[in-house]
Amino acid sequence: MNYPVWDVPIIGSGWVIGMIAIFHVMISHFAIGGGIYLPFAEARALKRGRKDWLEFLPRHSKFFLILTGVYGAVSGVGIWFAIGLAAPEATSTLIHNFVFGWAIEWVFFLIELSTAAVYYYTWNRIPDKLHLKVGWLYAGTSIMTLVIINGILTFMLTPGESWLAVAGTGKESAHFFQAFFNPTYWPSLFLRTLVCLSLAAVWALVTGSLINGRKQPELKTEVIRFSTKWLLPAFFLMPPCFVWYLLMVPESQRALLELGISTIGAGTFTQVTRMVLVSIMTSATILGVVYFIAYRDPKTFRVGYACAVVFLALAATGSTEQAREMLRKPYVVVDHMYSNAVRKTPVNVNGEAIKEVDRFNRDGYLTNSIWATEQEKAAWAQWDRQREAAQVVNASTDEQPAAPNVTPEILRRGELMFRGQCMACHTTDGYRAMRGFLNERDLQSIKNILGMLHGYEETSPYRTYMPPLVGTEQEIEALAIYLDNMVNGTQAQTENVASAQ
Amino acid sequence: MQKSSCPVRNRYATAVWNYADERLGLSELLAFAGKKQVPQHKHSFWYYWGGISLFFFLVQCLTGVLLLVYYRPGAEAYESVRQITYDIEFGWLVRSAHSWSANLMVFAVFVHMFSVFLMKAYRKPREFGWWSGLGLLGLAMVFGFSGYLLPMDELAYFATKVGLEIPMSTPVIGPFLGDLIRGGPEVGEHTVQRFFALHVVILPALFVPLLMFHLWLVQRHGNAIPPGEEAVPAAERESIPFFPNFMMKDVAMWLIALNVLALLASVYPWQLGPPANPIAPAPLGIHPEWYFMSQFQLLKVLGNWFPGITGEILGIGLFTIGGIVWAVIPLYDNDSRNGRRGRIATYIGFGAIAGLIALTAWGYWVL
Repeated sequence: MNYPVWDVPIIGSGWVIGMIAIFHVMISHFAIGGGIYLPFAEARALKRGRKDWLEFLPRHSKFFLILTGVYGAVSGVGIWFAIGLAAPEATSTLIHNFVFGWAIEWVFFLIELSTAAVYYYTWNRIPDKLHLKVGWLYAGTSIMTLVIINGILTFMLTPGESWLAVAGTGKESAHFFQAFFNPTYWPSLFLRTLVCLSLAAVWALVTGSLINGRKQPELKTEVIRFSTKWLLPAFFLMPPCFVWYLLMVPESQRALLELGISTIGAGTFTQVTRMVLVSIMTSATILGVVYFIAYRDPKTFRVGYACAVVFLALAATGSTEQAREMLRKPYVVVDHMYSNAVRKTPVNVNGEAIKEVDRFNRDGYLTNSIWATEQEKAAWAQWDRQREAAQVVNASTDEQPAAPNVTPEILRRGELMFRGQCMACHTTDGYRAMRGFLNERDLQSIKNILGMLHGYEETSPYRTYMPPLVGTEQEIEALAIYLDNMVNGTQAQTENVASAQ
Repeated sequence: MQKSSCPVRNRYATAVWNYADERLGLSELLAFAGKKQVPQHKHSFWYYWGGISLFFFLVQCLTGVLLLVYYRPGAEAYESVRQITYDIEFGWLVRSAHSWSANLMVFAVFVHMFSVFLMKAYRKPREFGWWSGLGLLGLAMVFGFSGYLLPMDELAYFATKVGLEIPMSTPVIGPFLGDLIRGGPEVGEHTVQRFFALHVVILPALFVPLLMFHLWLVQRHGNAIPPGEEAVPAAERESIPFFPNFMMKDVAMWLIALNVLALLASVYPWQLGPPANPIAPAPLGIHPEWYFMSQFQLLKVLGNWFPGITGEILGIGLFTIGGIVWAVIPLYDNDSRNGRRGRIATYIGFGAIAGLIALTAWGYWVL
């Protein structure tokens, strides 16, 4: 809670990660699928003595090297940089558990980058067999990067009971392999491998489209048709793999998807279901589009058409990644850490297992905050005493407590609650805007909603996708006042308070 | 035995084809479709936009018929749309698809029109293609305007009131036009009845024959080659038969268009606001649909600069002159040898695009 909050207006920090990640997935999966495609196609061309293919493949490997080696590598680092800013507690959990895994991945990553460069620069400079070995070495190391990162990514959805049993005890790293080979590890690995092969086809269509169909009709036809066939494994095997993956997802998370499916008819289905539907639809469309514009008429397949296929692949990737992320709601690491960075599993404090939710509710969320001054904390304490006294008086007379005295310090307190517990997912005016959600609600109505989030009852409708709101009663009231001021006060008032601090 | 013209190589399919061909003359239709060649060059992408517009029109017809099953014009208009949106299974999807495809269709028609303009596809012998296309765009915009009121929610009511200011600002006949369209002095249930009749009977009766005429002209004259490609020697030019090669690619583009539509309809379903209340104040920032925004903004600006009837006359005068210039461009720039006239027409085209975008953006900026 004492990490700085990354305030990204309009789109929110989540979408910064999303935008980098979606493009990164397009490239990083191509780095693996394309890494298999290149030596496979080279071996085929050598076996058949096809000089024209051996002239095309260096061009494709140049495109491959630039796209994966430059953009893929930069965006990969960008993701970790962005998640470190957007969700520092969760990133810290991942680093503490998987630093060894990451170290191994970086070894493979270095070999991968080196062999990709060697592969491109040694075309026609070293013996064919040796060149092919370099290609296969690249393919092997790139597959290993997936094998490792897949364990870390799937851990966030299904950390596994074994790891959860020791979470917060300081013995987490002893369960590295249980956390790594977690329940969704294998179905996810198969799914991602199929995506890699599909993206090998999608990007090969881009370079294939640049072959002059008038001058080299035979080559263009073969390259386009050979590439389109790389889509087939995904379209036959993805449905069963997807079902396998869903069966391994915890029932509580699957319920979010099932709830969405059962309410499609009424149009109230969940965002995660919408994204899954878009993903299935765009993926199926890729096959149709590729058949009609590439396979049926390869000689006239131009770069514009290839871009249309890339656009569809981008939509499929984007929706799939968003659905996968949303399936974790309301957690960032399922059953361990909520999306507001509050831990569900008990934390070991001086040998005693304490639940963070209970501790924050009892001692206060902002009690140890480094973002508030001592004067502010003193003003909050005074306000708390006034509110408690007012409640005692009103309890004896059965009257409603007097309206709270709104001071800049209280608005500041509410703002810090908002920044700490809401801004990981919400913005003021843009994506998941608070002004939009709370529109036309007065202070009491906002308090009622926050009360439900704070109480976190089993029957609460928010429980399936919202984390518990933690803090003392007065902190929650300060947040309500801040939100009321944001929605019903003038925008200038809220911003002035924020800037004055 | 005479060779069959069946496009599918299958014994049973050929038998069915031959049966139908003898009675309906399908092979003649096939020959007519295959006669047309579609040029292939770096600007070929723009040839798809006519087909994409047609696709969205077909979606309009299909979803429109489904909406007709439950929609009740008049006093119950709002309640019936509320039922479609919230009570009837998949009603929200049909309504969202209808609304989104209407917007996408107008957008596709605009792109198609400007690409035709800049590729000089209005020149001889394609003048009637240009004029019929303009007629279709005009009808599509009236389709959009009339359909927007039908839910009779707050936004539809006030946006229609604002939109009607454009025809009502016509000097002399403006007020009469307003009464005629509204069916009274105010927008109300009679207006909904009139707009409904216009939307589902009169406009389709005009649109469909005009569309058939337009498509027949396209098939008859084929796709125009842009001036840049005309410089390429004929022997080096590439083309593919419309049927089946280009048709296959068209189907692929339709699939992509369907994806865009499905994505918008499912992720951003069309909402229904509170019921229209004529005595309530208009919500802040009320404005017509995006494709009327440039005209609306121009009228607003001219109204501020030249208060009173002067601004209105100036606004309507500018629209009229602009529309006439746009329509008669094939008569002015009618030959590929017209170098200077061709250049001036191109400047007009780019000017129109820049003007429309700038005025629309300005309109939204000052809302």
